[in-house]
Amino acid sequence: MNRYASTTATNAREAAEWSTGRIIRSNLRAVIGRAYPRVIGLTREPSWLFFEIFLPFLAVSAFVFVYRALEAPEAYVGFVVLGGAMTAFWLNVVWMMAAQFYWEKDQGNLELYFTAPMHLMSILAGMAIGGLVMTSSRALAVIGIGSLLFGVTYDIQQPFLLAGVFLLTMVPLYGMGMLFASLFLLWGREAFHLAQLLQEPIYFLGGVNFPLRALGPVAGVVMATLPLGVGLDAMRQLVFADSGVAGVLPVGTEVLILAVMGVVFIVAARLALGYLETLARREGRLTLRWQ
Amino acid sequence: MAVTGRAASVRGMTLADAWRTFRTAIKLGWAIESNWSDPFLFAVYTMAKPLAAAGILVVMFQVITGGQNPEFLQFLIVGSALWNIVFGVMSGLVQSILEDRERYRMIKYVVVTPTSLFPFLLGRSLARVAVSFVAVVLTMVVGVLFLGVDLQPNLLYLVPATVLGVTAVIALGVFMAGWCLSLRQEAWSYPEAIAGALYLVSGAIFPIDILPTILHPIAYLSPTTWWLEASRRGLLGHGSPGAIGGLSDEVVMLILLVSTAVVIPVALAAFAWFMRRARRAGLLDMITGS
Repeated sequence: MNRYASTTATNAREAAEWSTGRIIRSNLRAVIGRAYPRVIGLTREPSWLFFEIFLPFLAVSAFVFVYRALEAPEAYVGFVVLGGAMTAFWLNVVWMMAAQFYWEKDQGNLELYFTAPMHLMSILAGMAIGGLVMTSSRALAVIGIGSLLFGVTYDIQQPFLLAGVFLLTMVPLYGMGMLFASLFLLWGREAFHLAQLLQEPIYFLGGVNFPLRALGPVAGVVMATLPLGVGLDAMRQLVFADSGVAGVLPVGTEVLILAVMGVVFIVAARLALGYLETLARREGRLTLRWQ
Repeated sequence: MAVTGRAASVRGMTLADAWRTFRTAIKLGWAIESNWSDPFLFAVYTMAKPLAAAGILVVMFQVITGGQNPEFLQFLIVGSALWNIVFGVMSGLVQSILEDRERYRMIKYVVVTPTSLFPFLLGRSLARVAVSFVAVVLTMVVGVLFLGVDLQPNLLYLVPATVLGVTAVIALGVFMAGWCLSLRQEAWSYPEAIAGALYLVSGAIFPIDILPTILHPIAYLSPTTWWLEASRRGLLGHGSPGAIGGLSDEVVMLILLVSTAVVIPVALAAFAWFMRRARRAGLLDMITGS
């Protein structure tokens, strides 16, 4: 029986020459396949649902109570709730994008990814799409529960622009996660420390619990490097238009920065992944467990 | 395979053996925590995380008060600094046991050796606890040097408060470690969840009077509330704002003593029960993949 009968190829080299359509279909299947467990996990793992809502909500509550103790204007409570919702996305990026390849390596999946006939960017895109869907439900829950319990009021005058800014924030945010996925793998055993390091310091620099402007000149650095901070600052200007608290830059400028960041992080992720793939194939070491 | 028997009658299981196990586990824990990491990254990680956590509170305080009410800032800094110990102990104990079960897959071998898991667990987690003490000192130093925290330490009060409080926190960590050993899903998230819940109810960064009334009983029952209050009095010379600050030093110390005395036997009994359950259910070599 001809081993290549299903593709009508007569030898292995010919069988490996896929048409563009087949490559696209295969990669799309990889995207869907990697996104699937994260989306379906919404219904099959209630414990995920509980922890991913409960943990950000605990932090949100603590900071809300600090503002209440300081007798801060109510708009600041809203800042914290919105920041808490965005924290869910950041945690998803750090633990389920950046650290994911490292965990996959520990579980023995990474070598399968490298040998499968698809691009690793498809796996990362699947992780990002699945993570985005999964985390959106958590973020909405944090906003809903936080708003109800703490009586947050919103003044949204440009809902479409707000939706656009949110989506535009997600592109560099998850692009950053894709880039970190390769870097974490290269840096090896420190993945846990790195993931921890990307929490409180980023919450501080990103102005998750206070207006970014309060950081003074440091806010300028954040504007150039951290999509979480830029997106949050823009969204706060749009969601709490009546708060009287100014953003670091006008929303239009921040939208432009997010767009540039999106391109930069996705391209950087692609380059890092290419380098990683070369190392993995040449040295055969990066995909090995316990390294 | 489940490990159901106990090697209780094996000769040589003395206090000296437990001490040797403890020492060996300390070396192992420290090697995993530090030597396997890049030293620079480890130092940055040790410093940046607690300082950033305190920094968030400082900026929130400055934005709202413009630097007025320095006593509240001191309350925030001390609470934020001390909370590193709670998180370090909780995550240290729980992650040691989960890492050894699921990642390094060694816990079953430790359990079948003629020693107790308990000294191993304490020693294995000590590195993280030590790092958390470094974080406390670092945050306090930054508070004193740059943020105007005025320390007026009363060692006669602070030392017993610290001994009792840290013992109570270790007891809570032992309870959590036993609990997580018997969990099949999401055990990694429990220490963060419990430490986060305690952070909320213990008056770590805001007076517990601000909490909804329904949470007040939990706040008053938690030994961490009384440890933080006693530590503030020992470090700053005054207590927290609000009702709890009106209590005398003696009453606060007495409640800390009582709550610690209650939590220790409960935690040890619970750990023993969770271990028996884990042995019977074959959970010692389980890999959840979560």
